[in-house]
Amino acid sequence: MRTVLLAQLRTHAARLIASTLAVVIAVGFVVATLVLNETSRSTVLNAVGARYVDTAAVVSSSGEPLTGDVDAVESLPSVGAVAAAWETSVQADVPGRTGSQYLAVETVADAPELRWQQLSDGRLPERTGELAVSERARAEVGDVLTISTYDAEGEVTEAQATVTGIVRLEGDPEAGLYGRAFVTEQQVRDWGATDLYELRIAAAPGSSDAQVLADVAAAVTGPDVVVRSGVEQAEHEAAMLTGDSTALTSVLLVFGTVAVVVAGLVIANTFAVLLAQRTRELALLRCVGATAKQVRRSVLGEALATGFVSSAVGVAAGIGLAGLISTLVGSDSAIPLAGLTVPAYTVLAGLLVGTLVTVLAALAPARAATRVAPLAALRPVDPAPLRSRPGLLRLVLGLLMAVPGTALLVLGVVVQSVYVGLPGGVLSFLGIVLLAQRAVPPVVAAAGGLVARIGGVPARLAAGNATRNPRRTAATATALLIGVTLTSAFVVGAASTRATATAGLDAEFPTDVVVQGFSDDLPASLPATLGDVDQVVRTAPVLAADVTGPDGEPVYVHGVDAGTAGAAMRSTDKVLLPGPGQVVVPEWAAEYYSVRDGDPFPLTADGRSLDLVAQVTGENQPLMVDAADLRTLAPEPGLAEVWVMLDDADPDAQVAAVDRVTDVVAEADETARVTGIVTMRDEINEVLDILLLVVTGLLAVAVVIALIGVGNTLALSVVERRQENGLLRALGLTRGQLRGLLAWEAVLVAGVASVLGVVVGGAYGLAGAASVLGEVGDIVLDVPWLQVAAIVVVATLAGLLASVLPARRAARTAPVAAIAAA
Amino acid sequence: MSVPVMTVPGEPPAPVASAAVRAAGLRKTYGSGETAVHALAGVDVAFAAGEFTAIMGPSGSGKSTLMHCLAGLDTASGGEVWLGDTELTRLRDDQLTTLRRRRIGFVFQAFNLLPVLDARENIVLPMQLAGQRPDPAWFDAVIARLGLRERLEHRPHELSGGQQQRVAIARALLARPDVVFADEPTGNLDSRSGAEVLGLLRSSVKETGQTVVMVTHDPVAASYADRVVLLADGRLAGELTDPTAETVLDALRGLGA
Ligand SMILES: Nc1ncnc2c1ncn2[C@@H]1O[C@H](COP(=O)(O)OP(=O)(O)OP(=O)(O)O)[C@@H](O)[C@H]1O
Ligand SMILES: [Mg+2]
Repeated sequence: MRTVLLAQLRTHAARLIASTLAVVIAVGFVVATLVLNETSRSTVLNAVGARYVDTAAVVSSSGEPLTGDVDAVESLPSVGAVAAAWETSVQADVPGRTGSQYLAVETVADAPELRWQQLSDGRLPERTGELAVSERARAEVGDVLTISTYDAEGEVTEAQATVTGIVRLEGDPEAGLYGRAFVTEQQVRDWGATDLYELRIAAAPGSSDAQVLADVAAAVTGPDVVVRSGVEQAEHEAAMLTGDSTALTSVLLVFGTVAVVVAGLVIANTFAVLLAQRTRELALLRCVGATAKQVRRSVLGEALATGFVSSAVGVAAGIGLAGLISTLVGSDSAIPLAGLTVPAYTVLAGLLVGTLVTVLAALAPARAATRVAPLAALRPVDPAPLRSRPGLLRLVLGLLMAVPGTALLVLGVVVQSVYVGLPGGVLSFLGIVLLAQRAVPPVVAAAGGLVARIGGVPARLAAGNATRNPRRTAATATALLIGVTLTSAFVVGAASTRATATAGLDAEFPTDVVVQGFSDDLPASLPATLGDVDQVVRTAPVLAADVTGPDGEPVYVHGVDAGTAGAAMRSTDKVLLPGPGQVVVPEWAAEYYSVRDGDPFPLTADGRSLDLVAQVTGENQPLMVDAADLRTLAPEPGLAEVWVMLDDADPDAQVAAVDRVTDVVAEADETARVTGIVTMRDEINEVLDILLLVVTGLLAVAVVIALIGVGNTLALSVVERRQENGLLRALGLTRGQLRGLLAWEAVLVAGVASVLGVVVGGAYGLAGAASVLGEVGDIVLDVPWLQVAAIVVVATLAGLLASVLPARRAARTAPVAAIAAA
Repeated sequence: MSVPVMTVPGEPPAPVASAAVRAAGLRKTYGSGETAVHALAGVDVAFAAGEFTAIMGPSGSGKSTLMHCLAGLDTASGGEVWLGDTELTRLRDDQLTTLRRRRIGFVFQAFNLLPVLDARENIVLPMQLAGQRPDPAWFDAVIARLGLRERLEHRPHELSGGQQQRVAIARALLARPDVVFADEPTGNLDSRSGAEVLGLLRSSVKETGQTVVMVTHDPVAASYADRVVLLADGRLAGELTDPTAETVLDALRGLGA
């Protein structure tokens, strides 16, 4: 049998190229997914966790300062170096720029291995009086900045510092928020850092990171102290920043699973067609004495060889593809895909998945092949189409998977858990693929009736061909159905993800720019002045005054006009604004005053008093009343904050607008602090866009697989129908009509597959988005109709395109040759 | 026993006024140079309208090639083929194709029918391709003559070999073509079914004046014909009129087959 196997591989190299291509692309798809997954993970980690990833351990405290622990940690034998992360903030005057700006000050580690900052220019500071700044500070190397620090009483101290370097915070979503300064430990403390909450630790030469982690964890204990490995800390920070990292992981998990399932289906499909096409050959083998077992082994051997070789090619292709995507995405984006991360497991997984899936996928066709009666070789015409046991089995199996799978998927949506929804989705999808074998032919028949009416004889023949050989049609359609279902699932899912994320970000960061006074004494004219600044759409003043609370103690209360303030915010979902007669009370204050929602909440000031009603909120807000009410209590309240809303514009324009606001504010009040929240929202938006882009890129690969599947199936069926086509030509079908026949068949099958796929895929997309995003927050569902319509059109046209080469080949066949081949 | 009338090989055929198909100096060469095979090396032959002709000759003598060239299924390397007043050797592929579906009928040895169509659909297919509707009376007549009434809704795999050939003959006759070509139509059949099929071809010639050209190896099959044309090594090697199985066998022996 080995000679037969080898001869098969040799003679059918051309046919195998087609199936090899499917495996290569499928494996490439899986590997590219894994590699991009790893790359994006490491890129995000590197961006927001740059300072942590290379450390052995990180100690952080949310309560007691760690100031006293530094020596204890440093003296551990496994510890090589410790960086104490002192932090403070200052106001800085940059030469040539009006006003001063807020700078967050961080420490540069003494030990080189704990320095993470990447410089785009200059060097890191080495002594006091020197500092490096982030690009956002808009300073240059050699600039001398005037640094103002304020003590607890608001007393100002001024000092000079020279810029020695510019730090690049590439990929940090907070980089655009405000400028940052990096100085020596001594300098941070001189500028007012009092407490230490974080230690980053490097291992001593010869000590393992795990050793350091264990030693440090033993040495530093406390109720609020957490010791993590560098990578853990980086992941923690990334999670804090993106809100919830499980959403990201879930999306990638869904994606990986889908990739493997698609690969398996496409390969199974290819092999089924491949073997169906060789029925006569296999039967002849049986005739000359091969046992069923030998035939099966020969088929599986072929699958194994094909699977392994093409998996190897696929792994290389996948890594190449990921590299390409990485370079394309990487060039100019907030979170670039930096380089390529290719862990060994991705290569192994690719080889294993490809080979295993090919062999598994070939099992069923191989079993079918052994059932071929030797007599089939001698039968002059095609055997009757199957409508016996396997068809019924498929129906039952399909229903058994689709029904509970759909139920599980619905449950996943209801309980908003992707871990319930995902297996449900996979199960029901497999069920639908099995059922498609049954469902597609009748739908094609119906569509065929329509097509036959408009397309003349070739269309009528095509409709006949498509409906009279349901197995072939179903196999072709299923390949495309899978691709289209996935495409539309992702397009719809992505749109909903996008809409949900935008709504979530608007709720999370409702104001574009916030101007805060050092105390509540911003100039009263500031809101009006800011209103005149270019690109500022609206401003809302936030008043403040000290009044007396229900317990008779003084309390600091904000006052806003709900109408004005609400208009200056992107979303009021997460901010509770008080109406007249109301006071917004955060939970901690409600606990302190022992009031519940709706309870009376009296406030007094200088003999004036107001009986207000408490509105308790779970959000972290200050005590807040209506502006008019506040004026009743305190006739001359101070101006604590101004909320500013900017025009919708591209991120660069918005940064420029924030700069203008900063300048105007600085002129009016030196000590005021401007926070450009809008830039943070933009950065996060950009990260989301890139994620969606990556997923869409991978999806394009799935569609290409499906199209190759269509071309493949059509090409094989052209070979299979050589005699039929030859006979048709002899009986008077012109070349053009023969091409038309195949084109109509392709359009019919592809059209039906894509319409069905869009409907099913749309449902999956909505269900998937609902179950994934449900874990994150409120869901906004969105169906991009235009894109969905485009999918149907493109898939149908692509099916048509896939028929061009096979059709040309069919038309070239001389009628005689076809007859002679009998 | 009648004496076979032999013509001298190489001599041009007597001009036949009412020839349905004729070939002049027809050549067909496969390959080139050393390995060139001259399947047809200059054949001049004519087939009268309303005549049943059998083409015979040893295996590899060029019978199928001749038939394919005459039927416009294959292009000749040289010479001319005329179908009535039309010179096939000048036509483009599209013209040949439309001509085939209107003016030529086929019966092959095997794989005659499209597996996805039932008997009725197979029978009307060429007319459908030509955008024509079969004349119902003629359709009924053909079906009745071929005894297919009970089988019209059956697919090819549900029919016996003889029945399949009868469906193919019905298809060939339905469009009332200028000529029906049959390449070993009884090659796959037992002698009873074979006799049935040959009888049907014969009667279509007798009763409706259909022109039939048939390639066969079987002297008994050839004896149903009005005339037998003999081929050897791609050339005409003589002909017999009113053949019987014995005269055909003798003539073939003469060719060394
Ligand atoms: N496609 C081809 N390529 C090369 N040579 C061919 C081809 N088709 C036929 N021949 C050669 O042409 C010659 C005539 O072949 P043809 O099929 O016409 O013979 P035949 O008389 O029909 O034989 P048989 O009785 O066996 O069917 C043979 O020598 C054959 O080998
Ligand atoms: Mg022959």
